[in-house]
Amino acid sequence: MKYYNLAIVAVFSFFLISCSSDEDGTNDSIELTGSGEVSITFDNGFADNDLVLGSANAANANGETLTVTRFSYIVSNFRLVNKDGEKYVFPKDESYFIISQETEADDVELPEIPAGEYTTLVFGIGVDQEKYLQGAEGQGDFVTLAEENNMMWSWQAGYKFLNFEGNFTSETVADPTDFKIHMGSHGSSLDNYKEVTLQLPSNILVSDGMDPNIHLKIDAGKILVGATNSIELSEKSVIMVDAEKSPQIAVNVTEMFVVDHVHNANGHE
Amino acid sequence: MNVLQNIKTLYFLLIFNSIAFSYANNRPFDVDPPRYCLEHFHFLEDDFFCDTCGCGSSGGSMGYGTALNKNFMGLRYIGQEYRSRDGIFNNSPWINENFNTVQAWGNFPVTKRAIVNIILPYQFHNRIFPDNTEQKINGLGDISVLAFYSLIKATPDSIISIKPEHYLQLGGGLKLPTGKYDKANNTGSVNPSFQLGNGSWDYILAMNYGFSYRNWGISTMFNYTIKTKNPKDYQFGNQFNYGINAFKTYYVSDLAFTPIIGLAGENYASNREFDMKVANTKGTIFLGKLSLETAYQNYSLGLVGMVPIDQNLNNGKVALKHRVSVYLNINL
Repeated sequence: MKYYNLAIVAVFSFFLISCSSDEDGTNDSIELTGSGEVSITFDNGFADNDLVLGSANAANANGETLTVTRFSYIVSNFRLVNKDGEKYVFPKDESYFIISQETEADDVELPEIPAGEYTTLVFGIGVDQEKYLQGAEGQGDFVTLAEENNMMWSWQAGYKFLNFEGNFTSETVADPTDFKIHMGSHGSSLDNYKEVTLQLPSNILVSDGMDPNIHLKIDAGKILVGATNSIELSEKSVIMVDAEKSPQIAVNVTEMFVVDHVHNANGHE
Repeated sequence: MNVLQNIKTLYFLLIFNSIAFSYANNRPFDVDPPRYCLEHFHFLEDDFFCDTCGCGSSGGSMGYGTALNKNFMGLRYIGQEYRSRDGIFNNSPWINENFNTVQAWGNFPVTKRAIVNIILPYQFHNRIFPDNTEQKINGLGDISVLAFYSLIKATPDSIISIKPEHYLQLGGGLKLPTGKYDKANNTGSVNPSFQLGNGSWDYILAMNYGFSYRNWGISTMFNYTIKTKNPKDYQFGNQFNYGINAFKTYYVSDLAFTPIIGLAGENYASNREFDMKVANTKGTIFLGKLSLETAYQNYSLGLVGMVPIDQNLNNGKVALKHRVSVYLNINL
């Protein structure tokens, strides 16, 4: 009988010992000095699947099956908020980027970020009025880049913030029918520039020799079916300058971005 | 922080050992001195427990015990096949990962009740990416050294005993950072455990309990590995392993065949980097096991196969397909 008791005591003590504290810590092990580069990966998907140009995606909530042939967007005005709530603004003139599934441009690199522990990423989608109103000269090389990537109507009409093209079928549209969604600010008459604030699931550490990465998961399916705006291609398959639907798409696009994970301190050692 | 953690860990080891030794000193469970009798010495605790996460790392296995023989030295091969997602999407491609370990291992008697267990692993792993490039790593893994103390020792002549014979062993030890931890293998979105070692000093607590009755028996094992931060400020999650086996021995002329059926489980806490949790690194796995051990004179040959019954590793991004193991031991 004693044996059993002993075994029970032993098992018990084992489990007691096995308990571990699992408190969620912030970094307190290393000193952060100097500066580092923060990279942001825009991993384009559709619903929970990878987005492959030319391949049909699963039908969306409106019963429409999209085959995407172009998916590009402008991201801009990057800011990082540290754990004390202080905001670092990346130099505005260098803060405009095009993410393009066609050219596989999926990375934004922000060099010389001051050392620190950052909790939040903020960025814009498109080009803000302040920048646009600087005129063509104020844009630097970005106008050329935008033109090369089909992200510009004309200087007067302005930038396309989103260029989303392909074809679709639905219950009522049996034959694959082209769709085009070009969303932007329409010169200075309609401002569709929006911003996104993303809380990081784990803080990133920036320091000399520590260049973290933020991996975003993008859901292109949200462009048509957002939390509040649902747009049916069966009703209208070409949406460009549209005072009603463009602003809805601008809102939907802000819902595309989710932080999947972060990598700390990898890379350049 | 690190110092504190070490103190905490040492404290745990101390408690553990003090339990062990207080019982030992009282010696309330004195049994007859063991008489050597090969056929009936069933200490089947041959589960191998690999950190799935860091399988590469932990010298592959935590199966300190052997089958059939208490004290032995030998060689063991462990092969494990995993698949892990190369990407963050539901349709991201799977890549296959093969973890191979050859171990020189042994249980060496120190006193009547104490043994030292040593495992020296050599690892050779490979994985193939969707673009058909192959990555290989090989080299020494993490060496582990444990001491076990028998609180209860079974008498070897259980075949004539009318009562079940119990045994209970408590142990503790160290896993040394002898395997290389390469941070570069830990980038990207794939299995963070494609490593030769954890790179850290880790502490192990272990317990084996079982009983045999005539030619059949039950064995159970529990162990817990406390993993510390490695020099790259990466800390693999603590790991709890458990297993239960049922076995029966059949004799055919000079040979003893012992089929074993078992269940085993592993639980992993989240990995940490710079004291912050790393997403998608915790997990659990529950396995079924079939094994056959064949003994002839002083030799024993074991074959083990394990398949997952239920698993959720790295948030579903890593999955074990199966494990196999072969070992050949010489009894000491």
